[in-house]
Amino acid sequence: MNGPNFSKKFIFNEKFDSEYLYSLYEDDYQYIEEIYSTTLTHFDNDMHAIELAFSTDNLDNLKKAVHKMKPTFGFVGLPTVQHICKEFEDICQKATTTNELTAQYQQIVITLAESKKLIATEYSKLKEFNSNFL
Amino acid sequence: MKWTSVIVEDLQVAADYLAKCCEKSGLLEVKGHFTNVQEALEYLNKNSVDVLFLDVEMPGATGFDLLDQLAYYPQVILTTSKSEYAYNAFEYNVTDFLKKPFTYQRFQEALNKLTAAAGESNISLTATDHIFIKCDGKLVRLNNDDILFIESMGDYVKFVTADKKYITHNTIKNLEEKVNRQCFIKVHRSYIININKIDDIRENDLYIKGNEIPVSKAHKADVLKRLNII
Repeated sequence: MNGPNFSKKFIFNEKFDSEYLYSLYEDDYQYIEEIYSTTLTHFDNDMHAIELAFSTDNLDNLKKAVHKMKPTFGFVGLPTVQHICKEFEDICQKATTTNELTAQYQQIVITLAESKKLIATEYSKLKEFNSNFL
Repeated sequence: MKWTSVIVEDLQVAADYLAKCCEKSGLLEVKGHFTNVQEALEYLNKNSVDVLFLDVEMPGATGFDLLDQLAYYPQVILTTSKSEYAYNAFEYNVTDFLKKPFTYQRFQEALNKLTAAAGESNISLTATDHIFIKCDGKLVRLNNDDILFIESMGDYVKFVTADKKYITHNTIKNLEEKVNRQCFIKVHRSYIININKIDDIRENDLYIKGNEIPVSKAHKADVLKRLNII
């Protein structure tokens, strides 16, 4: 968010949509680091809410928990994961019990866990980049 | 002078980003961030703000529940990740609808809409004992004391007096901020009434000169507080 003429010095992992990130934050790498840091701080709690809702067969809370977490992935540059959350939310909308969602739930849990790892790795890289170059 | 604003958002990263956009704009001062409707209402009922950035789905009550319970109506910008709420946004006459995440450019477009809406609402409604409304190609003066109530008709509102009805292009939301609050009170999403004209109240309706007007649950306590009940 530093103005129109910005550089793209940091090379994001290819799984991140770097153009999307630049469209949100331009080359404000310190702020992107902050976004990753905040996301990681809250990730486990948000994830726990999803797991708890599923294990207690609370479809409404499951939908809400996924809905809450969904935009996080857009903010960190993983819009595909955001879209996967949206699809899961839509499936929840149609389901009558969490049992119907077991396969999709297991898949989304894996996707979210992988996403957390990706964010954590990118956060470390970015932190190092910022301390060296800014 | 900056607009005062409040962010009601349960996702921290989204709230932080929004606060940063506000700061960058130089137009908005963020007075608070709340993660649920209850805390936001407690603040907003004690402190009036110009702009409300409002998420829809939060733990407990929704952003729309907050709007139903708010005693006044600031400019509202909905921030949500669900496009499905666009219709409700239209119904609640919000100023803009930002789908998360949004770019700063898109945020600026919302600010432009805020500016335009703020300009529109500065119509000739500043006098304390009367207002002027645009009606049939002229500006018509209505004394506050002659107005019984104001009713929403979509993009129009109807000013009802004892002997005439005036229809003008406006919204309850705009008027709520502009009418003299000593005389007028919002009792329902679609009605502002002259508190001095109430004949009686029964259950969830009040009556003014034979007109039955609904009182929403959210506004009933405020209405009763304003009455001289002995």
